[in-house]
Amino acid sequence: MRIFWIKSFFLISFACILTRLFYWQVVRADYLQAQAEGQHFTDTTVGALRGNIQFSDGAILASINPSFTVFGQPKLISNDKRVEIGYMLAKVLSEEEEKVDILAKDFINKISQDLYWVPLKKGISPGKKKEIESLNLEGIGFEGGNSRFYPEGSSSAHLLGFVGFDSKGGNKGYFGVEGFYDGELKGVSGLLRHEKDALGLPIMIGNFLTSNPRNGEDLVLNVDRSVQFIVEQSIRNNLEKYGAKAASAVVMDPKTGAIIALAAYPNYDPHKYSNFPKEFYKNPIVADQYEPGSTFKVLVMAAALNEDLIKPDTKCDICSGPISIGGFSIRTWNNKYYPDTTLKDVIIHSDNTGMVFVGQKLGIDKLYSYLENFGFGQPTDIDLQDEFSPDLRPKKDWREIDLTTASFGQGIAVTPIQMVRAVSAVANGGNLMEPQVVRQIKDEKNTFEIKPKIIRQVIKGSTAQMVKEMMVAAVEQGEARIFRPKGFKIAGKTGTAQIPVAGHYDSNKTIASFVGFAPADDPKFVILVRFDQPTSSIYGSETAAPTFFEIAKQLFNYYKIAPTE
Amino acid sequence: MTYIHKLDQQESKKKFPRKYVVLTVMGLFILTIIEIWASNTVSAYGEKYEKLAVLERNLKMENQILENEIAKNSSLTDIASKSAELGFSISQSIQYIR
Repeated sequence: MRIFWIKSFFLISFACILTRLFYWQVVRADYLQAQAEGQHFTDTTVGALRGNIQFSDGAILASINPSFTVFGQPKLISNDKRVEIGYMLAKVLSEEEEKVDILAKDFINKISQDLYWVPLKKGISPGKKKEIESLNLEGIGFEGGNSRFYPEGSSSAHLLGFVGFDSKGGNKGYFGVEGFYDGELKGVSGLLRHEKDALGLPIMIGNFLTSNPRNGEDLVLNVDRSVQFIVEQSIRNNLEKYGAKAASAVVMDPKTGAIIALAAYPNYDPHKYSNFPKEFYKNPIVADQYEPGSTFKVLVMAAALNEDLIKPDTKCDICSGPISIGGFSIRTWNNKYYPDTTLKDVIIHSDNTGMVFVGQKLGIDKLYSYLENFGFGQPTDIDLQDEFSPDLRPKKDWREIDLTTASFGQGIAVTPIQMVRAVSAVANGGNLMEPQVVRQIKDEKNTFEIKPKIIRQVIKGSTAQMVKEMMVAAVEQGEARIFRPKGFKIAGKTGTAQIPVAGHYDSNKTIASFVGFAPADDPKFVILVRFDQPTSSIYGSETAAPTFFEIAKQLFNYYKIAPTE
Repeated sequence: MTYIHKLDQQESKKKFPRKYVVLTVMGLFILTIIEIWASNTVSAYGEKYEKLAVLERNLKMENQILENEIAKNSSLTDIASKSAELGFSISQSIQYIR
């Protein structure tokens, strides 16, 4: 009997050991394996560095800046020290003296939570980190990272966009180039795994496993920083001078479609984007629709000339007074009429009745087809994230009055980038180009060059030449002639479009614009300047045109272009 | 003849293993000693490696900060404000030589 009990005891003991071993080796195998590996191995994610964005001359427009996230470990902070720690941190990290209290309360609230780890502030500089480290605060630590650095401050904000956070807290580009090329810029993170000893230090003869990070690619823009600077200064100063609600300008190389400068105000600081209203993030050059007004006349004229329906010296036989169409009376902007005026003079005087004549010669079908060929109603495919294109009204819905108003640029919506691209086609001899902001994409080994892209030929070279001459005459003899720099051959056209408000046009609220190119015989740049609701004068000839000439004058110096006359 | 041949074979079988076994054991012993020596020698290098890795990170960070400082000081915004302080302005009248 005694032997039976001893046998039973051993049997049960073995059964228990076996069960426990089964539990550890089979049931909990994965968990314990992971724990063991966690004790033996250290995994470090090696973050990829976001690519730089450079001007055409290689100067930095956006790069990375070492920064840190300061975090708290509430379980390691004693209750009586939380308030003190919160205030000490806030004094170092607050940007304004008045906001120390608010920030301190936020920190105290965060480090009082029932959590092991809580982020307190992201993007702090190495200098601030050192300052906090010198305070020797318990339960406060740092995690390394990178933020964006903009040596030119808020310059080119609408071109760049900004870097924010995705749903997992990682960096993500929004708007502009940052948004469009986010995939190329962000790179791929790597992993470093090595065996560690009891002190957490790597064992040199242990196992090492390295997957190297692939840093983001650098972007070289077509944007010339000097031209960008000139345009930004001019736009900012004149926005104030003319009391406009907003102002924007874009400079394009008509031969390649390269965007040389792009500026819009009001703008924002991409480094502190969250301090600005969200409406400011939108790039008005590519995302704002407006009625182009008289600047559109050159395109309608180009269409009719290209179809050989008219010639520059064709006389308008309906231009002696207001024209009635569909119950509407079409007048000229200054109520002056020129009987039997030539079509060249129609452009010089920006004569609406003359354009009605041209529109009628062209007809809805042909005008519509040219609108499509000039790229209206579809995105230009510019490499900026937030491009928007207003739709063209379906052709079947067009009535005579629509044809009439479209002929002088009202009742049709375009974006500034569509408009500058269409006028570039006139400047370069008839080719519609794809606008391009980025010229090169570079990684550590290779450089990918983005070649200029011709979309299609819209008008004949001879037509482009005729329109060009009309635009030169408009500059030399039109309303804005007093502002033009003497001796230079500049082609251009003013535009003053009323803004539709609740179904009617408000005559005091206008979009004043000027589009043109120079030197007219061999254009180096096309510029569109636009003021939204200027108050000192509602006319493009008194606001946008002087700004255009001011920019053009500086560009002649910069490009070393001498006067020809 | 058959008998003598058998004896020869037995003799050669006995000699072969002893020599090689001793050599193998010696080799393994030496390798073990080398491994122990190497482990002891490099075991302290983990700390050095870690220090070098931190130093590399810090140097890279400082380089980046300096690059940014250069970019900031050579930015047009900075140059324009400095040149304005020094009294430079945009030339108003330009003489063209033909």
